Amino acid sequence: MKETEKRLPNLTFDHAELLARVDNDRELLHDLLAIFKHEFPQLLKALRQAVESGDGKLVAVAAHTLKGMLLNLAAGQAAAAVDRLEQLGRSGETAGFQDALAAFERDATSLLPQLDACMAEVH
Amino acid sequence: MRILIADDEVMSRRLLQKTLERAGYEVTAVENGRLAADQLCPADGPRLALLDWVMPELDGPGVCREVRKRTEQSYVYMVLLTSKESKQDVVAGLESGADDYLTKPFDPEELKARLRTGLRILDLEDRLVEAREKMRFQATHDGLTTLWNSGVIVDLLGRELARSWREHVSTSILMCDLDHFKSVNDTFGHLAGDEVLKETAKRLLASVRSYDFVGRYGGEEFLVVLNNCNPAYALARAEEIRKAIAQKPVPSSSGPVPITMSLGLLMSQEWGYRPVEELLQQADAALYAAKAAGRNCVRVASPKISSADSDSQPQEHIRLRR
Repeated sequence: MKETEKRLPNLTFDHAELLARVDNDRELLHDLLAIFKHEFPQLLKALRQAVESGDGKLVAVAAHTLKGMLLNLAAGQAAAAVDRLEQLGRSGETAGFQDALAAFERDATSLLPQLDACMAEVH
Repeated sequence: MRILIADDEVMSRRLLQKTLERAGYEVTAVENGRLAADQLCPADGPRLALLDWVMPELDGPGVCREVRKRTEQSYVYMVLLTSKESKQDVVAGLESGADDYLTKPFDPEELKARLRTGLRILDLEDRLVEAREKMRFQATHDGLTTLWNSGVIVDLLGRELARSWREHVSTSILMCDLDHFKSVNDTFGHLAGDEVLKETAKRLLASVRSYDFVGRYGGEEFLVVLNNCNPAYALARAEEIRKAIAQKPVPSSSGPVPITMSLGLLMSQEWGYRPVEELLQQADAALYAAKAAGRNCVRVASPKISSADSDSQPQEHIRLRR
């Protein structure tokens, strides 16, 4: 198991950890969620295009950015899934791209409603 | 304390900025490594930096390398932010010049604690620089008057003379000596004598331009170097200095002390290329002439009369200077 995987908790979204990370600042939390909501569709699109192109470097860069955002939001499961894509991109293992992307999209699909709910709560 | 955050990811930037502003930092946030280096490299840039490892234009280690190329400016304490955790990556990051690293996502308390470590290092640097500057000042200045000390004022004179020869302008040397200073010490005490020396230094500094040099040459003897000045100006300046010294007694802990000063003036243009030591001797001879003329006056060292003056008896010279 890679070191990065070891520290990514296998949780869709850890609300308590997220609150601790923003020092219980609900305004900041709302800002972060709004940024994510705005950025995520474009970043996902860039990741998909990178996977389609089969360019490992592009996949790694796009996946890295998404991973950073997801880690900041304490979304461990989706972060672990996109980290897998980043590693594949770095090692140039193009054969695994599509499966890893599909796994990430599944995690992201279950994460998004939870983030929306959280945003509504802190609004 | 100012801190720079460099991260291409907007959410991390926002999170870091808010966390650090709450902790009392004055935050500047940029989105790539090139902008970070541009902010950190100038002398007045922030001295604390949090740098994302992976950034467009220039990555975090690249920023560290650019900042470490500077040698004269203050130290910048840099922390790399990374999701890279392998030993190889950490070693590469630290070898690029980073002081520390922090893995993402960061814990706010750990972030603040690590920055406090940085602040301690910067504080230590400030104190070391302050101590070095103090020692440099002590090595170049007279402890009592805070004027340039004898070694430095002669060096400065040498440099000015070389420049004036090169540029065909005149540098003037004023060898100044307080009259009857021994009797000041004898009559008013050494404490009052020190007060007189300090006040004399103040009056000398107030009588010259900001780019002229004033040094304590010996006990009650001062050397003034007037840069790039014509003979008429030098003579007028010497006379003004004499008046400034004599105009009113120096207030001291033992009461007001009346003082006067004798001055020997030498204008380099009249002497051509001569060694510094020789010109100092000639200025000293002019000072001796001023003493012999009754003190509290200015005498000019002229190449024509210098040989006659230099034949004077050394013991008489010393006696008159006291």
